[in-house]
Amino acid sequence: MTAANEAAEKVRGAIASLKENNVQDRPLVEVLELSHQLADAMKYFFGSLDQTIQGEFRYIADFISKARDEISELRPNDIRETRIPGASIELDAVVKDTEQATETIMSEAEAIMSADASDPEAYKAQVDEAMMRMIEACSFQDLTGQRVSKVVTTLRHIEERVAHFAVALGVEDSSNQEETEEDRRKRELLLNGPALDGPETAQDDIDAMFAEGGEEVGQDDIDALFN
Amino acid sequence: MAVDLSMDVLVVDDYKTMVRIITNLLKQLGFENIDDAADGKEALAKMKDGKKYGLVISDWNMEPMTGYELLREVRGDDGLKTTPFIMVTAESKTENVIAAKKAGVNNYIVKPFNAATLKGKIAAVLGDF
Repeated sequence: MTAANEAAEKVRGAIASLKENNVQDRPLVEVLELSHQLADAMKYFFGSLDQTIQGEFRYIADFISKARDEISELRPNDIRETRIPGASIELDAVVKDTEQATETIMSEAEAIMSADASDPEAYKAQVDEAMMRMIEACSFQDLTGQRVSKVVTTLRHIEERVAHFAVALGVEDSSNQEETEEDRRKRELLLNGPALDGPETAQDDIDAMFAEGGEEVGQDDIDALFN
Repeated sequence: MAVDLSMDVLVVDDYKTMVRIITNLLKQLGFENIDDAADGKEALAKMKDGKKYGLVISDWNMEPMTGYELLREVRGDDGLKTTPFIMVTAESKTENVIAAKKAGVNNYIVKPFNAATLKGKIAAVLGDF
């Protein structure tokens, strides 16, 4: 039996004794004795409680301290203030470079398509100049390649730090993540986006589904596409 | 049956460059009246506005209304449901092709595509050039 339990037992006994007799007839010294035992019980009780709580608080404090160190290692301010905005700027520049190059190439191609070919010599000169400008415009690929490379480096940096953080703190992915409205829309409207390394279903396979006599999609056609 | 090159064609894509590419290819094929819209909602409004389009060439992935939703709207509208509809999209999963086919698309082209493919599919839907 713990000290707290022993003290509580004494208190209970004393109270029972008082109840059996008329408390007003008891000498003051006995009431004081009871108060003393009650105080002891309270002291032991809160003492043991404090030790447990102190242990818990110490564990939580250590955990918070470790988490703070890990978050510091994660360098969230650097990621938020420098790396993410930097990557965003690079991607914007990629879009801009690509658009400019596309605009140049399209305009030159349209100019050739609508050019007057009645004078072969003049027409050839116009085509040669347009071709040269189209070739020059293709140099955007070098720039966009370098920009994308920087973005990939940033993503890898973040990936490594987040992975280290998750391992250090023993974080596991939640298994019951709720589907967002955006996710639901993507799923219901089959918004999968372009596949890597070419289309997942080849144009020839699609053509077979739309070939003469293929008005309805048969199970065999579907099976063939999945094989 | 020869294709009526004077028909109104509606090109639907949120990427202006793709609209320009398809429009140029259609012009090369001889089409004279080419209109465009930036998403399914704008396209549907144009189609319901009185002009009868002889062909719709639509992307799939657009906001706020996708090409797939546009297709279903068109096929569900008594006045529009017979409009020839070709999907030109980077969505190349089998489930996408099957869904479009079931929704009533007339043909399906995966991006990137070339002029010959576009011409071939238009011919398959509308007739020879």
